[in-house]
Amino acid sequence: MLLRGLTWLVVFQLLGTLLSVLLLPQLPGPILGMLLLLFFLMLRGRVGEPLAEASTNLLRYLPLMLVPPATAVMLHVDLIAREIWAIAGALVGSVLLSMALTGWLMQRLIERQARRRGEP
Amino acid sequence: MSLDWQAAWQALVGHPLFGFALTLCAYQLSLALYEKTRWVVLQPVLLSIILVIASLWALGIGFDEYRASSELLTLLLGPTTVALAVPLYLNLRRIRQLFWPVLLTLVCGGVAATVFGVGLGWMLGAEEGVLRSMAAKSATTPIAMLVTEQIGGIAALAAVFVMVTGVLGGIFGPELLRLLGVTHPAAVGMALGINAHAVGTSRALGEGEECGAFSALAMSLTGACIALFLPLAAALIS
Repeated sequence: MLLRGLTWLVVFQLLGTLLSVLLLPQLPGPILGMLLLLFFLMLRGRVGEPLAEASTNLLRYLPLMLVPPATAVMLHVDLIAREIWAIAGALVGSVLLSMALTGWLMQRLIERQARRRGEP
Repeated sequence: MSLDWQAAWQALVGHPLFGFALTLCAYQLSLALYEKTRWVVLQPVLLSIILVIASLWALGIGFDEYRASSELLTLLLGPTTVALAVPLYLNLRRIRQLFWPVLLTLVCGGVAATVFGVGLGWMLGAEEGVLRSMAAKSATTPIAMLVTEQIGGIAALAAVFVMVTGVLGGIFGPELLRLLGVTHPAAVGMALGINAHAVGTSRALGEGEECGAFSALAMSLTGACIALFLPLAAALIS
């Protein structure tokens, strides 16, 4: 089961890579693979057991897989040290601002929808 | 009898699975520490990266050597990114009721997080490589890394930005939203999922099931939108 689901995922990734090279060089292969799989699932209307099992298992270990590529920051320590204040300011400022904006907006929109549904 | 320590050490460090083993050990240690303390700052991934970097420095191993011997993990990252379509599909089926509020908030939130991040960085004088690595920070890490590479930033830097953003959002988000009077579970969930990805979603799950569901939804939709539109927007601008 796990292997069958994994086969689907790898095939979709390779399809995505083909599509990326042939038609859409702006989008990376795995991302096109993800979108292709999404369309496939929408057409099919359900997630099969093998695919569900493989994706659940792989996604559980996603954090672990991210460690090696992210460790490449060690090559950019100088850059980070040089820009630390700009980086810290931008990260802290933007997450607080957009968090406040999105929460507030969603709350307003939900209240509006509820009001509209309340008065026919 | 004299043991050839030098050769043994070389065989160990030069083994094709050395990086794999080092990553696994660092991850297990980080998980154990996180389980024990439950301290948000000690996110297992961030801690593992720090542990791996510290070990490599201490042992005098270069990043290229480490990358070669940890390739087993990196190879699986592609199929796992494709697998993100499954939760995305399941989440999409769930939003029918609040379709327009979700869509509008998603678009505004995604654009705001990107524009605020890049804009603040630019005002504070960050250089271009940093700005390009900042743009995708609202996507989940695997997507952010791919997109960042596509638009000419540094993928590893983007990964760290995403993780730090998640931790910041997870720590300050719930309190900030309470202060602003955002109380609807769907609104709290959306805000946490768009801005703080997985850390935000685990905080949202703590606030309740509906909140967690919307956070997971927002996280996967934001990732997909950024994956799709940011490279296209970048191609148009430059």
